[in-house]
Amino acid sequence: MAQYLTRNALDPAQRELQTALRAGAYLGFKQALSLPPQEVVAEIDASGLRGRGGAGFPTGRKWSFIHAKEGQTVYLLCNADESEPGTFKDHYLIERDPHLVLEGVAIGAYAIGAHRAYIYMRGEYASLAETLAAALREAMAADIIGPNCMNSGYDLRITIQLGAGAYICGEETGLIQSLEGRRAYPRVRPPFPAVHGFLQEPTVVNNVETLACAARIMAEGAEAFKDHGTGRSAGTKLISVSGAVERPGVYEVELGYPLMEFLQGEAGGIRGGRGLKAIIPGGTSVPVLTAEEAAPLTIDYESMQSAGTMLGSGGMIVFGDDTSMPQALLRIAEFYAHESCGECTPCREGTGWMAWVLRRLLAGEGRPGDLGLLLRVGDNIEGRTICGLGDASVQPVRSFIRKFRPEFEALLPEPVQAVAWQSHGHGPRTGRFGPPAEEATRSEAVDGPPTAAL
Amino acid sequence: MPIVTIDGRQIEVEQGVSVIQAADRLGVEIPRFCYHPDLRPEGNCRMCLVEVDGFPKPVVACATPVVDGMVVKTPHTSPVASRAARGVLEFLLVNHPLDCPICDQAGECSLQDFYMHPDYGQHRSHVDPEEKIHKRKRVNLGPRIVLDAERCVMCSRCVRFSEEVSGYAELQFVRRGNHVELTAFEDRVLEDPYAGNLADVCPVGALTSRDFRFKRRVWHLSHTDSVCAGCSTGCNVRIDHFDGHIERVVPRRNPEVNRSWICDEGRLSYQSLTSIPRLTHPREGDRRLLWAEAIALAHETLHSAGAVTGLPLAALASASATNESLWLFRQYVEVAFPQHLLEFRLGREMETVAEREDKLLRRADKHPNTMGALHLGYGRGLGLKGLLDLAEKGELSRLLMLYYPPLVGQEAEETKERIAGLLARVPESVVLTTHELPYLTGAKLLLPVAAWSEEEGTYTNHQGVTQHVGKAISLREAVRPATDILGDLWQVATAARRETAPERLFREIAMSVPAFRGLSYAGLESRAATVYPPEGRMHYGQEGFAGR
Repeated sequence: MAQYLTRNALDPAQRELQTALRAGAYLGFKQALSLPPQEVVAEIDASGLRGRGGAGFPTGRKWSFIHAKEGQTVYLLCNADESEPGTFKDHYLIERDPHLVLEGVAIGAYAIGAHRAYIYMRGEYASLAETLAAALREAMAADIIGPNCMNSGYDLRITIQLGAGAYICGEETGLIQSLEGRRAYPRVRPPFPAVHGFLQEPTVVNNVETLACAARIMAEGAEAFKDHGTGRSAGTKLISVSGAVERPGVYEVELGYPLMEFLQGEAGGIRGGRGLKAIIPGGTSVPVLTAEEAAPLTIDYESMQSAGTMLGSGGMIVFGDDTSMPQALLRIAEFYAHESCGECTPCREGTGWMAWVLRRLLAGEGRPGDLGLLLRVGDNIEGRTICGLGDASVQPVRSFIRKFRPEFEALLPEPVQAVAWQSHGHGPRTGRFGPPAEEATRSEAVDGPPTAAL
Repeated sequence: MPIVTIDGRQIEVEQGVSVIQAADRLGVEIPRFCYHPDLRPEGNCRMCLVEVDGFPKPVVACATPVVDGMVVKTPHTSPVASRAARGVLEFLLVNHPLDCPICDQAGECSLQDFYMHPDYGQHRSHVDPEEKIHKRKRVNLGPRIVLDAERCVMCSRCVRFSEEVSGYAELQFVRRGNHVELTAFEDRVLEDPYAGNLADVCPVGALTSRDFRFKRRVWHLSHTDSVCAGCSTGCNVRIDHFDGHIERVVPRRNPEVNRSWICDEGRLSYQSLTSIPRLTHPREGDRRLLWAEAIALAHETLHSAGAVTGLPLAALASASATNESLWLFRQYVEVAFPQHLLEFRLGREMETVAEREDKLLRRADKHPNTMGALHLGYGRGLGLKGLLDLAEKGELSRLLMLYYPPLVGQEAEETKERIAGLLARVPESVVLTTHELPYLTGAKLLLPVAAWSEEEGTYTNHQGVTQHVGKAISLREAVRPATDILGDLWQVATAARRETAPERLFREIAMSVPAFRGLSYAGLESRAATVYPPEGRMHYGQEGFAGR
């Protein structure tokens, strides 16, 4: 188990400024303030830090997209909405080391030339917001954050904003809309937030863990960061593991750490000594892995990608061999149907439709062709929505059905029932009003690219 | 300027034009729900997905700006785009009640039209009606609009209209996923004076007009392009009528005048044509006259008294008359009465012609043709007040008046009193008007003239834009266009025939009046159709689709 981000997290006094300062808090911010902002961006770029929220986009590059024109106000938004199912790493980080998070926010804001930063925190984290606010008050009282941070002449105001509880508020443009006081309907891109973001001004949205990494990098250097991890996956990663394991929780691992070793070691093995059936490695929005697929993998971006899935947010959900995959999928599908914001048509209607078909399958009322229907509905959502939620909802449906098809087929009615069903006027779709033949079979043939988790 | 190829056809457009706008200019139909030329693009319906060379997945044509060299394929030529459009349409129908037979929008519904198109629709529903999600139906959102939330496709045109255009921001979506539903805040009554537009912007049957609801199937309607006569803005409208009755008035797009909107007063102004009793026959006191008698009597009335006293004729014409009527009125007065006082001011039109009543369309001057009257030489005299003063001094003995009551609102009490006072004091008076009005009963002779929608002509709005006004309704009883009556009076006065067709009169105006120089009647008639074609196309079905 690595000790890079979380090395101070076990000390309950770390929340207090004096303890945190003794452990080196805000040294990174101090270092950053001694450099011109471009050099801070360059340092982060050199570290190879990639976004920890799910998409894995290089952070230094994201920051370099900000080109504020005269009269524009730049904003840094810290995404602490942590709503991807199975993900609770940011909670741990904020709860245990709030000053590290604040330091990261301060560095990010300085690097992009922002004097206003917002930490958008999910509504369910209300008690956590108090922890963070207490830390912020301490840092402000000590003149670390505020007007003229640490006597550098740099002004920064950080605001903590609680959401009202919606998955979509973790999507970057949804978050921006929500922060502006609107309904969290994601925006069509382009324009990207770096051009027209919060209040139509240049904006960067970064995940909590990403900014915490930035704080460490500025304190200890890009090289020290690259000592951790492997190749294009530099640094460590917080993994929040849940499900059928003996020791669910948040663990920091070196990127490149073998998945099975993590499962058997840190996570304590499958609960009750059972066998492993499947793993969702990075939150429900990434394709599921079978036990066989998971066996050779390591915990990093490239290895996961090679298996057709993603490291995502690091929200790992483990399924024991007693799990009903259709039931697990229904639970996931119902989550997306419930959380689809309803703005764009394919996601609004498609997520609900998929959940509806799965519900009837599990209620023993499945119809022949329902699996094909699920896949076809997924095809009609993927790549046609405003934000990633639609794509995310399709990944579990497609991967569960493809990888655990016999379990789903067992839910379908016997052929004799199919005759009765047909007599109700739901015969095979043929003739003038049927869809093109290619459409019915396309899902089987096309292996869609994995999509970013929110 | 960027050049884009859409379905193999090229067009050069300005920087910043979206793919859907370029396609509209080319006349390539891209299906859409949420896009509207006068609203900010939102990109939420996903119906306008098109394939663009070099893009990994389909993009929305409404929110994608054209880049030079872009090659776009629409559902008409691209299987990828066609599949996307079909998929979206199928999604839209999953929870739609499919109640076209009882839906007022049927016949001008985008959902229905696209479904019937071979490139987008015509698949069968996979969802049983009992499985569908149910939402609120028949919700009265105020006096103009009814909401059926089940038919809504959540395109948010109405929400954006109320935010961006009317500014009242009364509508919003609530709940999430496929339970999303349109609502007015706290179910409050829509109070804005532009709420009627919500039924027009709604591409489906979710928001329908309470005024038009269940009156008539839209495919039975005849359409006449016209201009609203409610105020001096001159919003372009289409009169939808059936069997000699106006069933509704809807806005026509004209980016320079009214964009795609009209105020509710203007929209419903047609009702006042029939809600107040009309003058149906020439009438002297209570005695109905034949037209031949009436014309003779009018001539006699106006001339006899003048010949005796030598006092001038007061000639008063309303700025609600067409340019053609005003032109002929003035010519007749000048030819037949060497001594005359030509007037048009009934209220404060000259001061208020461009005065706004609100920031959007409504203007204080409720006469559609004040600017035309000014151009034609009216408004330089004493005004109604001045004439009344003369009459009180006994210096007026005869009066010819062409009077149209305002279609929006009521004539001001002061004006009514002045008109009544004038008619009471001037012994010999001939009034050409549309309605039976209590303040006109003092006239010696009343002649019924055609009202708005019953005669052709032109109005000049407050900006100085001259626009063609169409004739939708045939004349009833003994009503005649003002130009015909004036032509007859001319003939009696001069013993020469006078051309009274609006087209001919307008040609005379264009030749003699500088403000109208260069305009042609036929040009004005076809202006809307030629200047603002495809982008202005609203969702009304009458244009049809390529595939039908």
